[in-house]
Amino acid sequence: MQEAELHDLADDADYAASQQQGSASLMRSDSSSRRSSASEPDGAEVVYWKDNVTIHPTQYASERISGRLRLNKQGPSLFMTWIPYKGQGSNAKLSERDRNLYTIRAVPFTEVRSIRRHTPTLGWQYIIVVLSSGLAFPPLYFYNGGVKEFLATIKLHVFLVRSAEDANVFLVNDIQDRLQRTLSSLELPGAVASGLSSSPTVGESLSISNEDRTDGGSFDGSASHVQQNGRRRQKVQDPARDLSIQVLEKFSLVTRFARETTSQIFGEIHSDGYGDSERRAHNQTLQNYSSSEVANDVEKVPDEVPVASDPLEFEKKTLVWGKPREAPLMSDEWSAFFDSEGRIKDSEALKKRIFYGGVDYMLRNEVWPFLLGYHAFDSTYAEREYLVSVKKTEYETIKNQWQSISSEQAKRFTKFRERRGLVEKDVVRTDRSLSFYDGDDNPNVNLLRDILLTYSFYNFDLGYCQGMSDLLSPILYVMKNESESFWCFVALMERLGPNFNRDQNGMHTQLFALSKLVELLDSPLHNYFKLNDCLNYFFCFRWVLIQFKRQVTWEFEFERTMRVWEVMWTHYMSEHLHLYFCVAILKRYRRKIMGEQMDFDTLLKFINELSGQIDLDATLRDAEALCVCAGENGAACIPPGTPPSLPIGEGSLYPLQDDDDVL
Amino acid sequence: MASSRRRMLLKVIILGDSGVGKTSLMNQYVNRKFSNQYKATIGADFLTKEVQFEDRLFTLQIWDTAGQERFQSLGVAFYRGADCCVLVYDVNVMKSFENLNHWREEFLIQASPSDPENFPFIVLGNKIDVDGGNSRVVSEKKARAWCASKGNIPYFETSAKEGFNVEAAFQCIASNALKNEPEEEIYLPDTIDVAAGRQQRSTGCC
Repeated sequence: MQEAELHDLADDADYAASQQQGSASLMRSDSSSRRSSASEPDGAEVVYWKDNVTIHPTQYASERISGRLRLNKQGPSLFMTWIPYKGQGSNAKLSERDRNLYTIRAVPFTEVRSIRRHTPTLGWQYIIVVLSSGLAFPPLYFYNGGVKEFLATIKLHVFLVRSAEDANVFLVNDIQDRLQRTLSSLELPGAVASGLSSSPTVGESLSISNEDRTDGGSFDGSASHVQQNGRRRQKVQDPARDLSIQVLEKFSLVTRFARETTSQIFGEIHSDGYGDSERRAHNQTLQNYSSSEVANDVEKVPDEVPVASDPLEFEKKTLVWGKPREAPLMSDEWSAFFDSEGRIKDSEALKKRIFYGGVDYMLRNEVWPFLLGYHAFDSTYAEREYLVSVKKTEYETIKNQWQSISSEQAKRFTKFRERRGLVEKDVVRTDRSLSFYDGDDNPNVNLLRDILLTYSFYNFDLGYCQGMSDLLSPILYVMKNESESFWCFVALMERLGPNFNRDQNGMHTQLFALSKLVELLDSPLHNYFKLNDCLNYFFCFRWVLIQFKRQVTWEFEFERTMRVWEVMWTHYMSEHLHLYFCVAILKRYRRKIMGEQMDFDTLLKFINELSGQIDLDATLRDAEALCVCAGENGAACIPPGTPPSLPIGEGSLYPLQDDDDVL
Repeated sequence: MASSRRRMLLKVIILGDSGVGKTSLMNQYVNRKFSNQYKATIGADFLTKEVQFEDRLFTLQIWDTAGQERFQSLGVAFYRGADCCVLVYDVNVMKSFENLNHWREEFLIQASPSDPENFPFIVLGNKIDVDGGNSRVVSEKKARAWCASKGNIPYFETSAKEGFNVEAAFQCIASNALKNEPEEEIYLPDTIDVAAGRQQRSTGCC
């Protein structure tokens, strides 16, 4: 059967590549099965297992992770686990991180809301498991088939009904089974805890405490909230036992000291979101704190700024808390970065400069193409000039493809009509309050439409998705030139394309990484979100999707959005500064969020309305400090290939593109 | 406690294709304002409005969601606990009408209400003001026939721009959401509603 599939899909390079990968992991599966059999919880019976069940964390085939899917029966409860194979992929260290991030261990079916089955005619079958918390695991692709058997096995042990509305959706613990569900959920905490604590994969790479890894190192069932909270409370009383708490404490202390110092020096009034009671708590902790490391940091800070004579020394010390923001990069300084032929001599220094100060608005159209990767830093004037002319022709060619579709032809081209309709609906409501896009028949609005439609032909698989017009609008505003705007947008979408993928993989990966970062950098806040059913971080969806772009009413706000973007685009310190920026904002309002006992709805509303009020410079400094504090542990929270990370290895692929975009 | 809070708050979800006027309808009803400059909704947002019904005060929480199908995986988080679902289409765009069925089904799957057969939906045919009605492609008769076939869903023709029929539609929405509530209360102790289940569990254990 597999051969027949292979035959049918012989022309599908994506499919072929992963078949190779699939067979490679098949060879490894012998050893992994022995290892994983040791991870059975006590008394659990394996009722189903399937090898080569794979997740696609990014759209790149090289980053797929294969593993073994199992169903374990323990007493009356059924659990699902998915353990990735060890040592997969070219970068063993990275995949070890992924292993821990993506491992699904002992999820009880009482916590599963539904399973959606996808059986495309082309490509592999996959399932999406949706938890009652709203969190969904990444799609699990069955390279060797077996979805039917999987569902049949579940049905033997758990109440499973096919949705009356969609034959491909299977509801677990449907309402008819209310009583059974209530009963079985009562026995949950113990069962989950035993399943988790006996799993050997838990204790591997992350250097945070055992308990932290147990309840946070991977996806897990959420039914054990109460118990975990109990455990956490114990830990809070004993910070030395938990490195993530230490990081938190350290950050709070250092931040407080650095803030007070810099406030004195600059006479700056800094609304930091930390309340008096927290300050007292920090003081208390400081007095009790014996770590010489923290004491050293604290002592260093006061003399950080005045000793500005040696730039290196200056940098080392101020790294403890975000360096003061600088003035934007200006024209004279910018020209000094070039050699006689137009190469940027020291791109790292340039990125650093922009990271701390941004770019003067007059220079943006020159600088952004470099930051976005459209122009190479080591290209010459002549090379860039040539590239621009070649790319202009290429743009015109692609644009012609849709422009040449006659209205007669369009009548028989539903997909084109629908796509054009979507784009046209969105461009007329993108930043129209700015004078640049203002008024009837505004030519710039038409340019937005042309560029987006051309992009949807340039990358037909990805097509057009809402949010793209928000990303293009500032680029066109800066670049002014149609073809140049297009290619800068293309470069940006190389990084952010997965955000707009049909399976929302890029978004889920980022929100997942964000939850890991908050857990590392503010575990009380993490616990609060966990208890309040907010761990899906959907309230940060807009921040991440359109890069903190806000409801723009004035040029001033537009300017601030562009500033955040260019700082993030430097990828100085981290490619994922935007995630630390999210953490920084949440930390600023942590007292309000927890103090007012915000639930998911209130939190979403609060964050949606926050957009105009974020203190940009201060939050960037916080984000920088958090990134430094988190260090390797922070980087380990973010799976490789998480947008905007650039592709590792092969080119761009957008899977699951068979469904029509418009319904 | 959980039940008294639920009784006060009525959650309404507005669904429909991109650009049919979901945000505009919500703003017209809550703020009595119309703007040509609403942005495409990214993620989700909601507005609340106090309503009085049979001498009782309720908070209507109206959720506005992204219309592009690609964002539907978010629905699970936003739809749950809904008391009423408003399906909106543009009377000038056939496709938006044809998709109503999909939106209805998608809602039932993702929100998994306790009694899907009787869950209150309401259909709004919006933008009847456009071009004096000359560009209209979905007739009222056709829309009413579809609503009848789906268990007599109440139907309103609206213009968010001119505020036509919006108040009446939302009054119907509020009263239907309210009708859905008593049942919820009865079932609350055993309901699979996640939020309520959690609260119950945590108060039980702490």
